[in-house]
Amino acid sequence: MTRSSISRRSLVASTAAGAAAISVAGRVAGQDASPIASPASPEAAFAMSRVAERASGEIRFVTFDNDEAQKTVNEMIGMFNGHYPNITVKFEPVAADYLTKIQTDIAAGNAGDVFYVQNEYAQDFMSRDVLLAIDDYVAEDGIDTGVYFDPLITAYTWQDKLYGLPKDWSPLGAVYDPDVLTSAGVESFPTDWDGLRDTLQKVKDSTGNVGLALDPNFDRFIMFLYQAGGNILNDDATEIILDSDATSQALDYMYGLYTDGLISPSADLGAQWPGDAFAQGLAPIVFEGNWMFPFLQLNAPDKTYEVAELPAGPAGKGTPAFTNSYSIFAGSKNPDAAWVFVNYMTSFEAQKFANTSGLAIPARKDLEDMYLELFPLRKPYLDSGAYATAVLYGPGGQKFAGDANAALQSLWAGQIDTEACKQEMVDAANTDINI
Amino acid sequence: MAFRKTTSPTAREDMISGYLFIAPALIVLTLFVFWPIVQIIWLSFHEWSVITPEKPWVGLENYRNLTKTRDFPIALRNTVWLSVGVVPIQTLIGLFLAVIANQKIRGRGFFRMAFYFPSISSTVVISVIFLWMYQQNGLINFILRKVGLPTPMPPWMSNPNGVIAMALKPLGVDHLNPWLAGPSVALLSIMMMIIWTSVGGTMVIFLAGLQGLSQDVYEAAALDGATATQQFWQITVPLLKPIIFFVVTLGLIGTFQVFDQIFVMSQGAPAKTTLTLGYLVYQEGFTNFAMGYASAIAIALFLIILAIYFVQRSVLRTDQ
Repeated sequence: MTRSSISRRSLVASTAAGAAAISVAGRVAGQDASPIASPASPEAAFAMSRVAERASGEIRFVTFDNDEAQKTVNEMIGMFNGHYPNITVKFEPVAADYLTKIQTDIAAGNAGDVFYVQNEYAQDFMSRDVLLAIDDYVAEDGIDTGVYFDPLITAYTWQDKLYGLPKDWSPLGAVYDPDVLTSAGVESFPTDWDGLRDTLQKVKDSTGNVGLALDPNFDRFIMFLYQAGGNILNDDATEIILDSDATSQALDYMYGLYTDGLISPSADLGAQWPGDAFAQGLAPIVFEGNWMFPFLQLNAPDKTYEVAELPAGPAGKGTPAFTNSYSIFAGSKNPDAAWVFVNYMTSFEAQKFANTSGLAIPARKDLEDMYLELFPLRKPYLDSGAYATAVLYGPGGQKFAGDANAALQSLWAGQIDTEACKQEMVDAANTDINI
Repeated sequence: MAFRKTTSPTAREDMISGYLFIAPALIVLTLFVFWPIVQIIWLSFHEWSVITPEKPWVGLENYRNLTKTRDFPIALRNTVWLSVGVVPIQTLIGLFLAVIANQKIRGRGFFRMAFYFPSISSTVVISVIFLWMYQQNGLINFILRKVGLPTPMPPWMSNPNGVIAMALKPLGVDHLNPWLAGPSVALLSIMMMIIWTSVGGTMVIFLAGLQGLSQDVYEAAALDGATATQQFWQITVPLLKPIIFFVVTLGLIGTFQVFDQIFVMSQGAPAKTTLTLGYLVYQEGFTNFAMGYASAIAIALFLIILAIYFVQRSVLRTDQ
C-alpha cells in the first residue's frame, strides 16, 4: 500500500517520484539505457509458443504505464508482432486510477484480455476468480516457472493455481551515503538489528540528525516483521498469524528507533517520501526499492550512494518483494492469443529489452548477469531475491493495510502504546482479511 | 375544483411539445441521476465485490455494519468537525468580504475577481499547491518561523493529534474522548484550505443579495442616526436571512460531501483523521471491494444531510 500511497502523493508532487514509484518498469529520460538489447536483434534462444498455432485475432492490453514506459511497451509489441503477426495487440494504458478502472471494467465484463496486477491486489482478484489460471498454458508451452524469482510466483499462486507471470519486481534494500557513514565512524553497513541501532546512534552523534528516513507504514514495518520471523498469513494463506511475539518484537524495535530519535518519517524531515529525503540529503540511509535509482538520477544525479542488504533480525534476513504480473482476464474471449502475448512479454528476449532502463529488476533469474553488468552497485537487491517474501495480505488485504497504517500512525503520534498498536493490527487482520 | 382529463387537441399538443422540450434534460437526468440513485438504494441491500457479478441479498446487514465497523463513526466524526469548522467561518468571512466589496472603493472589480478566483479554480490543483505549502519546509512553516511562531510537529498534513486535545494538554487534560479531541491538525489544514477556496463563492452570493437590498432603508436608518455597525446588524443581516440560509445549506451539503481534497492530499491519513464520509464511500466501494456497504454509507450520508437540512431550516426559518 505504501508503494501506491506514496506514489499518489509523489505523483502530484513530483512527476519523477510518481513515475518511479508507481510503475516499476519503463524507461526514464536520461537513463543510461544500454544498447545491449534492441528490437532488431532477437535472441537466438527464443522459443515460439506452441499455443500460437491456434491463436490469432485481436487482444487488448491494459496497463498503468506512464509516457516513458509506454514507449518501451510499444517497441515490445512491435517485437511481439515480428514473431506473431497473426495477433494484433491493442495497447490501452490507463492514465490514472488504474485499479478503479480495472475493477469497473471487470465488473462490466469488458476488461482488457491482458492487464497488470499488483501483488497487493492479486489475492483479491485470484480469490474472486476474475483471472484466468494459466497452468495449462504454462505446461503446454513448457515454461519453467523456476526461472522467475520464487516469491514472484508465490505472489500469483492461489490454491495451487498460477494466475500470472511476473513483469518485474523489487525488494526493499538499504541505500546509503557512504561519506556520512564513514565520517560517523561506521566501517561497513550493519548486518543485524543491533548493528543498525549502533550505526544510527553514531550518525546521530556525529551529525546531530536522524540517520534513517522511514515512514510508519505497514509495508515498511513488514520488513522488520519478516526479519523477526513473523508474517500476516501462514505460507499457504489459510491462517492469520499476526498475533505473535515476532510482531511485538518488530514493533518494539522499529518504534524504539523512533522514540530514541534514530529514525524519522520523511514528512517530518521535509520530504515527500524517504527517497526524496535521501536525495535532498536529509537522511543518509533509506530502506527503499529499486524505484529509488531513477528518482535519484533525475533529482540528485551527483549524489554518491552505496547499496546493502537490509540488516538481519533475530530470525535472519528478510525483505518484502513488490511486483506486478501479466495476468489474463477470466472473461477474455481470446485467451489463447492473450497467453501467447503473456508468454512473449515474460520471455528472456522481452524482459531483457524491457529491463535495460534499470527502473525495475528483471523477474527472471537468467537476466541477473545482464542486470549486474549494467548496475553493479545494486547487487544486494538481487541477492535478496533468495529470501525475499512476496507481500501478501490475503483477500481484503487493502483494508487491512489501511487499518494497520492508521494504527502505526496513532502509535507514532503517541496516542497509543505498542501493545495497543499490535492489538489494533491483529483485530484489523481478523476482521478485514477473508480467508 | 375537479380535475378533468384534458383531451382537447391543443392541450395534447402542448403536452407533447412540453415533454419534447424537457426530454433531453429528462433523459440525461434519468440516466445519470435517477437511475444511479435507484441502483444505489438497491445495492445497499446487497453484497457486491464489484468485480464479480454475484450480488447476494443481505437485507439490512450493510446498514447494521455502519455502527459495527470502526470506520463509519470515525468518518462521521471527522465530517462533523469539518462541517462545524468550515461552514460558520466561510459564511462569516464571505459576508464580510461581500460587504466590503459592495462599497464604492477603488479596485473593487479587481478584489471581487481575486477573492472569487479560488472558487473557480480546480480543487485538485489547489490541493496540490497546499500540499506543498503544508510541508515541513513549506511556505506556511517558513512564514511561521519568520514571525517566531511555533510550527506543528509532525508537520501539518501528517499530524493526527486533535487540536482541542493539544490545546488542553498543558492544562493537564489527557485522553480526551475522540469526539472531543477536535479535528486533527491534518484535518484542520484541509479545513483552512477549503475555507480559503470557498469564501469567494460565498462572497459572490452575498454580493448578489446585497445588491438586491433597497438603499432607501439604509438612507432612512442613516437619517435616524444609525451607525454603520448598527446598520449592518439591524438591517443587512436580517434582510439577508434568506441568503444566509441558502449559503449555510450549500456549505453544509458541500462539507459533508468533501472528497477531492482528501483524495489528493491525504487519502484519509494520518491515523484516519482526515477520513470523510465522502472518501469512505469511495474507499469501501473501490479499494475494499464492498460496493454494497459503500452504497449503504452513501444512503446514510444522504439521510444525514437531509436531517441537518431540516434542523437548520427550522433554526433559520424565514417568515415567508
